[in-house]
Amino acid sequence: MPKILIPTPLRQYAGNQSEVELSGGTVGELLDALSRQHAELRRHLYSDQGKLRSFVNVYVNDEDIRHLAKEATPVSAQDTISIVPSIAGGATAPAETATLSKEEILRYSRHLIIPEIGMEGQLKLKQAKVLLIGAGGLGSPLALYLAAAGVGRIGLVDFDVVDFTNLQRQVIHATADVGRKKLDSAIESMSAINPHVTLDRFDTALTSENALEILKDYDIVVDGTDNFPTRYLVNDACVLLGKPNVYGSIFRFEGQATVFAYRGGPCYRCLYPEPPPPGLVPSCAEGGVLGILPGLIGLVQATEAVKLITGIGEPLVGRLLLYDALAMRFRELKLRRDPECPVCGDHPTVRELIDYHQFCGVPRGGQAPAGLKEGEMDVTELKVKIDRGDRFILVDVREPHEFQICSIPGSVLIPLGELSKRTGELNPASEIVVHCKSGGRSARAVEFLKKSGFENVSNLAGGILAWSDKVDPRVPKY
Amino acid sequence: MLGVSGVASIAVPLENSYHGSQTDRYEIRPEDLLAVDRQARREGLELIGIYHSHPDCDAYFSVTDLKNSCAWYSFVVVSIREGRFDHAKSFRPNADQTVAEPEDLAYPDLEESACQRS
Repeated sequence: MPKILIPTPLRQYAGNQSEVELSGGTVGELLDALSRQHAELRRHLYSDQGKLRSFVNVYVNDEDIRHLAKEATPVSAQDTISIVPSIAGGATAPAETATLSKEEILRYSRHLIIPEIGMEGQLKLKQAKVLLIGAGGLGSPLALYLAAAGVGRIGLVDFDVVDFTNLQRQVIHATADVGRKKLDSAIESMSAINPHVTLDRFDTALTSENALEILKDYDIVVDGTDNFPTRYLVNDACVLLGKPNVYGSIFRFEGQATVFAYRGGPCYRCLYPEPPPPGLVPSCAEGGVLGILPGLIGLVQATEAVKLITGIGEPLVGRLLLYDALAMRFRELKLRRDPECPVCGDHPTVRELIDYHQFCGVPRGGQAPAGLKEGEMDVTELKVKIDRGDRFILVDVREPHEFQICSIPGSVLIPLGELSKRTGELNPASEIVVHCKSGGRSARAVEFLKKSGFENVSNLAGGILAWSDKVDPRVPKY
Repeated sequence: MLGVSGVASIAVPLENSYHGSQTDRYEIRPEDLLAVDRQARREGLELIGIYHSHPDCDAYFSVTDLKNSCAWYSFVVVSIREGRFDHAKSFRPNADQTVAEPEDLAYPDLEESACQRS
């Protein structure tokens, strides 16, 4: 007859026998016969609805009956039936044992009465750990709304200081915060909105050295950065750690958002395998941004984060959402994971974090330029030349709308984009000094002019911003 | 944990088969548990309980632990702080896995206990 091995703790309900021999043609018949013989046993194996309890696994010899014919699996006289429980668990967070306090129930009431969220969803939010990279344009609405929504733990990574140009869009910081660390200002605003949220400060730039250590304790990473090296860094770190990367980016009137690296979906590198050539895509500081835009894109990211945490709805995975504020239109592009992707593909070649500044061909930020480079002129030298009445041409390669904001007296406006057509206006024999806002575009203009045969050309280091700092503070900075 | 009448004499380490962060979740393959149960029978011992650690976290019986447990065994949760044993607690879930009662947990002299490496 087939033999049923009784698990130790159940033997007391089976006449203290470690094995029982019974007749029956299938697993179901045997278990039924067993629990008829020993009624107490039944309760341990079957639920009140008469189904095998979810944690009960039954093996015929070495095979799980789930992979055979389940309870209809036939048994023969030589077979041994074993009963084994499924065991799992873990420490998701100490908060897990907690419930919502009376005050929290009131606070989250409008969530709790949505059936899709309810108590279960709100507790998921409370147990969730979200990391925000950047407390700037995208980070501001993200931090405010995720804190208000009751995300239990929010980490913030930022090393920057609030300045006046931030205030037009970075609504988490107030005018009085100018000069303070963005982290201090953001954390103060978030705690004021929701004191129940635990906030982690990371007063640092995210680097290849610290990224994995910072990201590892969070469930979801939200990328609110404004530069390519950090975007690739966040992407690769998320893929390596298996964490979803809620992505957003903004420029002037247009924004993008999607969720990368989530359950087999594509990553940032599947969309952009290579970074753009340095300088080709302007940053918000160079190109400007409608102040409201990061509010909208940041809240698309916040919405996706809340959906991932609560498991409701259809995540923005494999779809790139494109937003055009001027047309007021949303469009969607399909994205697919690239099997050849060097990070998330079938045969990944990037298995650890790399040097992302080198990868993107841009110099490391945050370091003061060590003196003047060759072919550069300091703003004080330019002032001396002007005062002395030297003969030279000062070319401003910014855009006309920037020229309207401020200019250096005596300068000629030739926007960088028009320079190649307008070189005829410049005398190759003259000395030429080129400037822009901060020195980037003018460096490209100098390079172009030198290639075009102009020999005596120099670049004004630091641009009109340096002019305002060191020479004429009446010139407004923007 | 294998032993006799509530006293564990052997702790058999099993692989954590959870796909994902191994520091905050664990799963035991039923076939691994089956193999341990057979080993216990061979050695005249009983499978009396199942232990798992909570790294850098208290030894409480979490909702996840409760939902994925069963009333047949004692569940010992070990709190590990910075890689070292901090404290442990034992729990016994009810049949419907809705509540787990704490159990007394007494430690023997450490020298007498054996730890089997498999």
